[in-house]
Amino acid sequence: MTRGRFLFIIATIIGLIAVAVLLRTKDVPPEIVAASVLATTLRFATPITLGAIAGLYCERSGVVNIAIEGMMLAAAFGAWSAAAVTQSLAIGLLAGILTGMLMGLLHAWLSVTFRVDQIVSGTVINILAIGLTGFLDSQVLSKAHLNSAGLLPQLPIPVLSELPVLGPIFRQQPIAWVSVIVVVISHYVLFYTRWGLRTRAVGENPRAADTVGISVRKMRYANVLIGAGIAGLGGAYFTLEAVPSFEILITNGRGFIALAAMIFGGWTPFGAWAAALLFGAANALQINAQQFGIPIPSQFVGMFPYLLTIIILAGVIGRAVPPAADGVPYETE
Amino acid sequence: MRKSLYAMLLLFALVLPLLAACGGGTAAQPTAAVAPPTAAVEAPTAMVEAPTAMVEAPTAAPEATAAPEATAMPEATAATSGTGTIKIGMVTDIAKLGDKGFNDSAWEGVQQAAKALGVEPKVIETTDPNDYQKNLDQFISEGYNVIVTVGFNLQEATVAAAKANPDIKFIGVDQAQTDVIPNLAGLIFNEDQAGYLAGVLAASVSKSGKIGAILGTDAVPAVWRFGEGYRAGAISIKPDISVQTVYHNDVGFDKTFSDPEWGKTTALSMIDQGVDVVFGAGGRTGNGALLAAADRKDKGVYAIGVDTDQYLTVPEAKAVLITSAVKIIPDGVAKLIQTVADGTFKGGNNFGTVGLAPFHDLDSQVPADLKTKLTDIQKQLLDGTLKTNVPAAKPGS
Amino acid sequence: MRHFPFGVSGVVMNAQGLLRPVRAALLPLLSILTALIVGGVIIWLAGPKLNGDWLGVKFVLDGYAGLFQGAFGSQKAIISTLVRATPYIFAGLAVALAFRCGLFNIGAEGQLALGALFAGGVGFSLHGLPPLIHLPLTLLAGMLGGFLWGMIPGILKARTGAHEVITTIMLNYIAAQLTGYLLNGPWKDPNPNNVTAQTPKIAEAAHLPLLLPGLHWGVILAFLAAIAVWFFLWKTTWGFEIRTVGANAAAARCAGINVSRNIVLAMGLSGMLAGLAGAVQVAGVNYRTILGFNAGYGFDSIAIALLGRNTPLGVVLSALLFGGLRNGATLMQFRTQISSDIISVIQALILIFIAAEQIIRWIYRVRVPSGLSEQVTLSKGWGKS
Repeated sequence: MTRGRFLFIIATIIGLIAVAVLLRTKDVPPEIVAASVLATTLRFATPITLGAIAGLYCERSGVVNIAIEGMMLAAAFGAWSAAAVTQSLAIGLLAGILTGMLMGLLHAWLSVTFRVDQIVSGTVINILAIGLTGFLDSQVLSKAHLNSAGLLPQLPIPVLSELPVLGPIFRQQPIAWVSVIVVVISHYVLFYTRWGLRTRAVGENPRAADTVGISVRKMRYANVLIGAGIAGLGGAYFTLEAVPSFEILITNGRGFIALAAMIFGGWTPFGAWAAALLFGAANALQINAQQFGIPIPSQFVGMFPYLLTIIILAGVIGRAVPPAADGVPYETE
Repeated sequence: MRKSLYAMLLLFALVLPLLAACGGGTAAQPTAAVAPPTAAVEAPTAMVEAPTAMVEAPTAAPEATAAPEATAMPEATAATSGTGTIKIGMVTDIAKLGDKGFNDSAWEGVQQAAKALGVEPKVIETTDPNDYQKNLDQFISEGYNVIVTVGFNLQEATVAAAKANPDIKFIGVDQAQTDVIPNLAGLIFNEDQAGYLAGVLAASVSKSGKIGAILGTDAVPAVWRFGEGYRAGAISIKPDISVQTVYHNDVGFDKTFSDPEWGKTTALSMIDQGVDVVFGAGGRTGNGALLAAADRKDKGVYAIGVDTDQYLTVPEAKAVLITSAVKIIPDGVAKLIQTVADGTFKGGNNFGTVGLAPFHDLDSQVPADLKTKLTDIQKQLLDGTLKTNVPAAKPGS
Repeated sequence: MRHFPFGVSGVVMNAQGLLRPVRAALLPLLSILTALIVGGVIIWLAGPKLNGDWLGVKFVLDGYAGLFQGAFGSQKAIISTLVRATPYIFAGLAVALAFRCGLFNIGAEGQLALGALFAGGVGFSLHGLPPLIHLPLTLLAGMLGGFLWGMIPGILKARTGAHEVITTIMLNYIAAQLTGYLLNGPWKDPNPNNVTAQTPKIAEAAHLPLLLPGLHWGVILAFLAAIAVWFFLWKTTWGFEIRTVGANAAAARCAGINVSRNIVLAMGLSGMLAGLAGAVQVAGVNYRTILGFNAGYGFDSIAIALLGRNTPLGVVLSALLFGGLRNGATLMQFRTQISSDIISVIQALILIFIAAEQIIRWIYRVRVPSGLSEQVTLSKGWGKS
């Protein structure tokens, strides 16, 4: 992710917020609108960020992961069910992460051990997740009449959340904070630790890594599991932090937007985060436009993240360079 | 030799189910009794005195070529059916049951009527919009006498089925009939009136002068009318009030009414910008708006529910839910089914009752004169002296 | 060397008794059987279990009986299954054709939507044309729509190396938004009685005639399309080039084959087939374009292509199976209240067993001789290969 592209993204986000402020109805002060749009952006961006980072770990080690959607969906279900049964949010959170990892295990098993094509493996997980969660929801959940365990409480940052205008931005729930922390940690891990180096080696040139003694298989399994766990956290966001109920298809394509964000962000943590914020801002703009009564057909704004990704992939705004061995099953000779 | 035999046996095993299929005929009756989910909704009581008889339809239904004659609903009679067992079925839209609103209340009405008649009703939840016809056919081929279809998406299939099966009675919830088909009764409501009342209340209790509504999609007339009625009612109290309406149009129908997370984020966006009354009118998406208000309870935000008394169905929002704009679906459905049993069923449009749900915990925050005003306005809406001037559907593009 | 287990594998038999087609179908059939068994276990877990009749097993059997009866158990059911399977056949062929060129077309859903859009547009906006002109025109419009939508990722891949998996997924969403905009807006049926997001009804002359009550000619078109695809891929030079590119793009290039052009062609044709699926639905079933009618075809078609080993015959059979399963799910739900989502689970299981055929081979002790597999190379990663 070049600095130029990063700045471009940040500039676009600011631009979108500015547009929202300009479009506002005159009775709301501009700084309130700006803060509100920023807060909305962060809310939309949280699951996308987590999903993108999840994909990042997998892909950096050379395993294509289009199953982020399925992992998040399954985790959302697992998290809610566990929390409702035990009436403990902590257990629900754990269950979400574990469910994600379970899906990741399947993905790794199929694509690393069986060397099934990784896209097929990802597709399988998506279909499986949709089917299982839908089935269990109708057959078991709706008949069980469980009460939700509630939502994760807000964790306002002590001083900053009292600020007059910017305050609401710093009043977020745990998983939203974690998503930011995960971005920072991932950046450090990926680029400044030996683990990260090994991961990237396995993703760029597994043959060379193998000859140096790095176990390609172990690294890939590990990274897929880590990534899937993060995706699990993203899934838990939907049912433990956003709303206290599970809906079928609650992820609603966010996993694919996360994939787009990862690519758009050039397979780097900060890039992915910036992309997620961009997509979140576009969504926020669309909502605000409706609030102000401006008739932008919502579908055009809805297309925005997807069009951007295609443009990026086509190299119009810089190239999108994936890890070199991304998608290639590794065979030890 | 052994391997090929083994393989042949396996292939044969696969063919067996096909044989079972061709065997056709009656399948063994499922041992598990069909246990439809019981709706958690109690019979809602309209806060304002609702007339016990159903309302007469205005003779000029807007944009309809032939004004259907609506019938005044008869009083619900005790179960007197001696005409043999009546089979009652219901087909939902893809939002399925468990929406704590629309579909659930229709099901509740069906169950109510069925219980009074001493029968077990059955429900098919549609999962694929291509299946409406098929699901209806399922009931038709099994000889059901009354089929209730829920939601205006099923209108076309219901009309076709009604025309093709004149001996079966159909009840279409939220399906406004333009022609009178003798065996098809459309149960419709004046959502704009309920919305109007909600808007009056909202404008009166709002301190910031900004109110908002989170809605499913303006492509569904009932939803759009809720929103526009809300706006009209609010403006009648405070002409310069700011009414923000946001529709979840950017997703397909399968998500429009089942996206509480979007509803919550959008409502929070409104609240952060000064809105202090939020009307959630979009199935589960709207429920998210109620949760957002609950989240910001310290700011003194109110929430208004929709379709049923959501105080009972979304308990997380109890502290901020001031009322709900209700359409009393269970009663309407139950009464219509009763007419089938009595033989007094009439096709065409039947209007159900609308009103506001009780104020519950926030009752003390509604001043007495406001309560009186709401009662008066409801009377005027019902007898036609006050009009909301909201058309039946969003004017075409 | 990359291992891609979608080839035709033989089964080692000591006896020559089994016909080759049976051998080829063995693994897929075993996958289906195993998936049904596992699915049955899941249903059992969610059902009455040990309290029910026969320890709950009867519940599962009732469910499956309903499923198969609903799919194939009566003339009406079979007709319904055929109608349901028709778009699956087209979409499955689309995905299979792309696979043969080494391309992963996940965009069938979007291409289908564009096809339906174009077809519906031509169908309702032209009047007074005789059926001989209007109907083919409608179908051709659908093919054009799908072709264009398939060509875009093809061109992107050929020119810039952008991986078609992502571009097709993105285009799916864009297609959904575009359709939503048009059907809620400019193309919405202006009839005041209409409130749904759909186009006006297409002209009578654009309807697909009925073969039997409830069965439209689209079914025949689907079978013809399968034959056409077979002929194209195995009996023409273009088809040969496409398959060569799929087997080994580098070698194809060395042999003088224009890889880029073939990629674009394959994606375009693939999209065209998917577009035809949409057009046939419009002209044969709905008689208009309705928002959301195409939900779910995307993943289903991938499963169908893979199960059918990317061969036209396999695709047709798989499409019939999947169409049957989806169709029969209604009766299953009606009789036993088992949610039709289980079909997706079974689908996923079938895919798992197909993709990781070692599992099936291990379970049933089936041996594979070396060198009989036909390899199809999929592009690696997201960028330029």
